[in-house]
Amino acid sequence: MKPDFDIIIVGSGPAGVSVAFPLVDAGLRVLMVDGGKKPGVLPPEADFLSARTNDAEQWKWMVGEDFHALKKRDAVSPKLRVPSHAYAFEEFETRNQVVGKNFITAGSLATGGLSNAWGCGVARFSAEEMADFPFPATELDVSYARVSQRMGISGKVDDDMSDYFGLDEYSQSPIPLDALHTHLSQRYLNRRKKLNSLGFRLGRSRVAVLSEDVAVRQACNLSGNCLWGCRRHSMYSSTDDLLGLRKHENFSELSGFVVDGLTRYDGYWAAEGQTTSGGELRSITAGKIVLAAGTLATTRIVLKTLNHRRPVPLLSCPTAAFLLWLPRLLGAPRTPGFGLGQLSFSLDIQDNITAFGSTFATTGITLSEFVRHVPLRRRYGIDLLRGLLSSCVVGNLFLPGHLTAAEAELQSDASLSVTGKYCDAVVPLMDEAAKKLRKAFWSLGAVLLPGSFTVGRPGGDIHYVGTLPMRESPSPGETSPRGEVEGLDGIFVVDGACLPTLSEKSHTLTIMANADRIGRKLAACNESRQGEVS
Amino acid sequence: MKIAVTGVTGYIGICFAKWAVSEGHEIVALSRRRPELVACDWIPYELSSKQALALPIDTDAVLHLAMIKSPNDQLDGAQEVLAAGLLVQAAQKVSAKFIFVSSQTARSDAPTAYGRIKWRIEQIVLAASGWVVRPGQVYGGMPRGLFGELVKLVQRLSVLPAFMPAPKVQPIHVDDLAAGLLRIAERADIRPGVLCLASPEPVSFTDFLHAIARNRLRLCRCFFPVPALIISTAIRLVREPLRTRTGLERLRSLFDLTVMNTASDLQRLGLQLRPLSSGMHPAGSARRRHLLVEGHALLSYVLRAQPGNAMLGRYVRAIEKLRGGVVLALPGPFVWWPALLALIDRGNRTETAWDKEFLWRLDAATVLAEASPLGARVFLGMGERDGFMGSLFWIARAIAFEASWRILSVSFAPITRVVLPRALAERQ
Repeated sequence: MKPDFDIIIVGSGPAGVSVAFPLVDAGLRVLMVDGGKKPGVLPPEADFLSARTNDAEQWKWMVGEDFHALKKRDAVSPKLRVPSHAYAFEEFETRNQVVGKNFITAGSLATGGLSNAWGCGVARFSAEEMADFPFPATELDVSYARVSQRMGISGKVDDDMSDYFGLDEYSQSPIPLDALHTHLSQRYLNRRKKLNSLGFRLGRSRVAVLSEDVAVRQACNLSGNCLWGCRRHSMYSSTDDLLGLRKHENFSELSGFVVDGLTRYDGYWAAEGQTTSGGELRSITAGKIVLAAGTLATTRIVLKTLNHRRPVPLLSCPTAAFLLWLPRLLGAPRTPGFGLGQLSFSLDIQDNITAFGSTFATTGITLSEFVRHVPLRRRYGIDLLRGLLSSCVVGNLFLPGHLTAAEAELQSDASLSVTGKYCDAVVPLMDEAAKKLRKAFWSLGAVLLPGSFTVGRPGGDIHYVGTLPMRESPSPGETSPRGEVEGLDGIFVVDGACLPTLSEKSHTLTIMANADRIGRKLAACNESRQGEVS
Repeated sequence: MKIAVTGVTGYIGICFAKWAVSEGHEIVALSRRRPELVACDWIPYELSSKQALALPIDTDAVLHLAMIKSPNDQLDGAQEVLAAGLLVQAAQKVSAKFIFVSSQTARSDAPTAYGRIKWRIEQIVLAASGWVVRPGQVYGGMPRGLFGELVKLVQRLSVLPAFMPAPKVQPIHVDDLAAGLLRIAERADIRPGVLCLASPEPVSFTDFLHAIARNRLRLCRCFFPVPALIISTAIRLVREPLRTRTGLERLRSLFDLTVMNTASDLQRLGLQLRPLSSGMHPAGSARRRHLLVEGHALLSYVLRAQPGNAMLGRYVRAIEKLRGGVVLALPGPFVWWPALLALIDRGNRTETAWDKEFLWRLDAATVLAEASPLGARVFLGMGERDGFMGSLFWIARAIAFEASWRILSVSFAPITRVVLPRALAERQ
């Protein structure tokens, strides 16, 4: 029997589209399936501050007609409370049977996956960071280039973070800084040497956001709607790449199909699952199946197919957030501006441990998000922030992923249980980081507000990696350098699950580059086989 | 379900359509104009038409609410009966349930033409195995229909007649009636026939007017006794059309009401009616009114300004949807002077379950208050140029007030720590 497709890609997120391009270009018959969730609530049309000032119906996109923001009151990130992003996260855990215990488990059933609601942070892993990858770091060079150029990255400038990000050769010019970040970066230039000796380097954030129009996507116009959703598509989402894939006749899509398991037949595989609308059971066959469903969902499918009952390790970055106040800019007018990372820093904490973080304008975030943490009576907390917040920037911080001790384990009911906590080293490391940041930002004229440095909950970074790591000689539950699951020939893992290590940097670009690399390898393998046949 | 409704823009029709839509049903309006208040499909329809009507093939039920206003001449009456017959036929053609909302006054020998027409239509519906609903005195919601006229009357007259002996009415809140009608449409186990929907316990008409004055309009009204005999004599002496013009015709129906036995029908539908004193509040129930009061207190505390009606409505809906509609039961002083909430608001410290719930609602009020142009002005100072000095002022002011409240809280500790928790425990 001839299978329905050459390859089925499970998931249309960043990994899914990245692996798809080389396969589709090679002429393979590719089917991409995803959970099919689509946007419901539209983000504002006007810039954020105008919409806030004039839109009487702003509660619809700020709170949601179903009071989404209130329902998600205790969610870890403001992003999870945004009604226009609700679709990106909804039903992921129930449909994919993922259960987090003291560990936040997020994922997406949306077309485009988590890239519908990401922070657009991009970085290239250095050769040292890739030391544990079972192939030479240079093998990813071409892929980094291909993927970066396709996504559109901005932030190209020769600064102290150029080498850290390593992306300037593919980048557009940076998006303009707001007044607060301009102030910080100017002060930094004068105090570079001293700060570098402290292990602190500051530069532009490199983000997958356009500063120049590319095809149908428009450049950022500083509307400040980044958190709420960008109508101009300046921020990269893998749904933008689907347009390019759809141009190919050999590319098909099945949206609204959640894969639950894989079954091997003679010489081919069947992806089995349910449609999200009718709950109808379906089985689709292909020679190879490529899993890009997001680390957690992919891990469950693989462990279930292998019937692997032992826990597998999960890497995830410990996080923290903090608020910086720039007294010199007290009373700065609120102006629309870029809402994602404007400046990024790296901070050496110990010999081999570096933290990474970015700072963001507070303008596009609601004051309600902050006032909950102010130890004042609500009425006066609001007054305080009304005066204070326009001269504040908010920052985040990530530590390398091996500092979270987490595990994923297939349960007897076929659900995936994820447990984990930060390693003991995290508390002193965070203390050290806070101390150093306070010092570094103080010399930049910014006060790290007392009590504002808050360590996030395990899993809150949503950087899950390494459950099915690529190894030179993989054991069961691991994958080959091509992402092929040991014991399941023809099943490939191309999302975060197959990365062997997770540094403190934003990891999405590396996942995408690796998916592209595996896609190219599969395409090449197909060509050589065709060559043999002819 | 797909439910076709005549009279969808009327008093009961709007409530029914909104309720049915919120329950996930589809409404097809049979009306002269496209209804604007509810999202629904529309088929142009005239009660005065003599033509047969085609309903969508997948119509599950037809609810007939429309009537010709003041059908006095024979002609109107005959037309109304004809129209009902055509509707029944149309419903039969697509095998849809037919539900007709009749009147408590429907009788073959009713003193009013209205009552007699309703009775004739009832016979057609029953013959076709349809459902006839006789509601009692409908009240609540938007003041429309007879209820609307009574509200207007009570508003206008500071002295109201108390008929002796007083006629008895059996009230039913319009939302309860809508829920009952929807249940008849939804449920397969309700046998066709006549259902009487109203409070099983009649109240005197005087008490009904009193409830309008006190609970709906929050007005004080005096009543002076009027012997019912005078009215019945007047009704007998005055002739049409003067009777209609003076409103005596309406009164005639009122004096003619006989008590309906409704308990068994309510039970069959599993319908629990809200008490009159609760339903008569503009909010629709005492609980909802308390939520509005609570929302007003919290939103005013956060905004330091009057929240609009729309924002209050959002607060109430959010609590109903996410907190089971449970009222927080804030003691009076906090409701009258929301600034006093600073005594209870102790930042993020939550010791009791009540503290936690209070904080949840304060957070909800903050989020809802901010998500409005007023919120943007108060929270962000949008439209105002605070500048350096302005910002400094807000910060200093916040700290000064916070400090004062902390001192006050210490002096009020006996009240906030001992009296308040007790009061709250009692209220719950």
